[in-house]
Amino acid sequence: MERLATTPRPDWRAHVERELGFVFHTIDGAPYWDETACYSFGEAEIDAIEAATGELEQMALALVDRVVAVGAEAYTRMRIPEIAWQAIEGSWKAGERNLYGRFDLRFAGDGPPQLLEYNADTPTALFEAAVVQWNWLEAIRHEADQFNSIHERLIEAWRQFGIGRGTVHFAAVRDHAEDEGTVEYLRDTAVQAGLATQRVAVEDIGWDGKGFRDLDNAPITTLFKLYPWEWLVAEPFGAHLLTGVARVIEPAWKMVLSNKAALALLWEMAPGHPNLLPAALDAGAIDGPLVRKPIYSREGANIQVLADGRVIAETGGGYGAEGFVYQGYAELPQFDGNYPVIGSWVVASQPAGMGIREDNTAITRDSSRFVPHFFV
Amino acid sequence: MKKSTSIRLVLLGSASMLLAGCGDDGPPKDARFFSSIEKCSSIATEAECREAVAAAERTHAAEAPRFTRKEECEAEFGPENCAKQTASASDGGGSLFMPLLMGYMMGNMLSGNRYSQPVWRGTNNQAVMPGKGGGFFGVGSFGSNATSTSAFRPATQVAQVPRGGFGSTATSYRTSAGS
Repeated sequence: MERLATTPRPDWRAHVERELGFVFHTIDGAPYWDETACYSFGEAEIDAIEAATGELEQMALALVDRVVAVGAEAYTRMRIPEIAWQAIEGSWKAGERNLYGRFDLRFAGDGPPQLLEYNADTPTALFEAAVVQWNWLEAIRHEADQFNSIHERLIEAWRQFGIGRGTVHFAAVRDHAEDEGTVEYLRDTAVQAGLATQRVAVEDIGWDGKGFRDLDNAPITTLFKLYPWEWLVAEPFGAHLLTGVARVIEPAWKMVLSNKAALALLWEMAPGHPNLLPAALDAGAIDGPLVRKPIYSREGANIQVLADGRVIAETGGGYGAEGFVYQGYAELPQFDGNYPVIGSWVVASQPAGMGIREDNTAITRDSSRFVPHFFV
Repeated sequence: MKKSTSIRLVLLGSASMLLAGCGDDGPPKDARFFSSIEKCSSIATEAECREAVAAAERTHAAEAPRFTRKEECEAEFGPENCAKQTASASDGGGSLFMPLLMGYMMGNMLSGNRYSQPVWRGTNNQAVMPGKGGGFFGVGSFGSNATSTSAFRPATQVAQVPRGGFGSTATSYRTSAGS
């Protein structure tokens, strides 16, 4: 694994906007898509990441099975509200399909990839990984390979959902370019799979007493939402959604995996697994430096790195009310002052590709940059 | 090989812009109509309503058809549907006749390209809004005894469905809902 400086395509901004419709390459004036550098891997390294991703997904699915079997005690430990238990169990036992997820891995080429966290419900940086970095590779290093067949796997996954002639409504929060772009990309792949689609803002979803409605008052029967389950269930229409009146993608059982307490339960299930870091709901159970993460948090908010009981790094935010999970601290590798995290994708629970985000600090946040990769 | 062999986009990028370029200029699919700023409160936030009304009023003032004689205006918009205005200097001064501003259209709420338009009462109690080429689009109707304060019945008006039951957490955190 190496970080290489590269010369950006002279017209890349106009190119990605016009050809790809990629409009959030710059966020709040700071670069987000960054092609002044790229990461180079060897084939064996990519094979290791792909294999670890497949294994982590199988462990994650086994964990859902276990949590559903244990029931109340497990949900309570994970701080999953009781209102959601039945929907989780129902969707899991019915075998409701899932579309995608992103494992954030620490990888430095010096040992096995290790799971930092699993974004199982509302992962983003998808369009960048699937399309933008592929388009960059074709322009810059056409002869090289890339761990990335996300696009065709998404199209195939939509076909397997069995939605038929029904319409899939795609919901994102209003006026957020990155979320809207991600959802519009997913809608693009669904259209290519032959599905009828509509857009609706999360805020515009209506409830007529019997079912959900879009702005034209058309019924919403299948809802793709880029909006976390734990927020949905706590909001006024949450109880309606949990009745199963609409099919939801991701399914309700993803609430078990998008919850960071899952890191502790995975470690209990497979202690010492080479792709896991020690994790527990009790800080005293972890030896050495550790990271405290809110059970529910987003985009690197409210993270603390602790050594000998002292905070050595932290990020702000408004999360943490539900409690924390503690994970052994594995320092990210550093390349020229940059700390990369591998975002390794599963589509329909199969390893599908990866994207890399790097930050100037050891905690990856929403300000991190997306940097393309290739392998030879 | 682990990379995609080809990637095609059908909604994003240049393909979608081509489609957008040949769309019509009628009301957008998600158009919502209201007759006053008070009636707007069920559709959008107060700030969005004020902005929509102000923009529609600017369009009305700048672009509503102008007639020097009342009969000419009524021939186009119907009896009692025109009002005498004092013409601005740019309109040459004096007085002129314009259709009455009866309501507002707000649309494209989702795309970031939100816009609003004035709604006028036309012949046969139709509700009309301006199109791009100087034409009008019928967007609903008024009752036969409509007055200048009557609400019109938009063509796309639908039963009121409660909305806004999702989305409040994202608003409170002011963040992406992704991760």
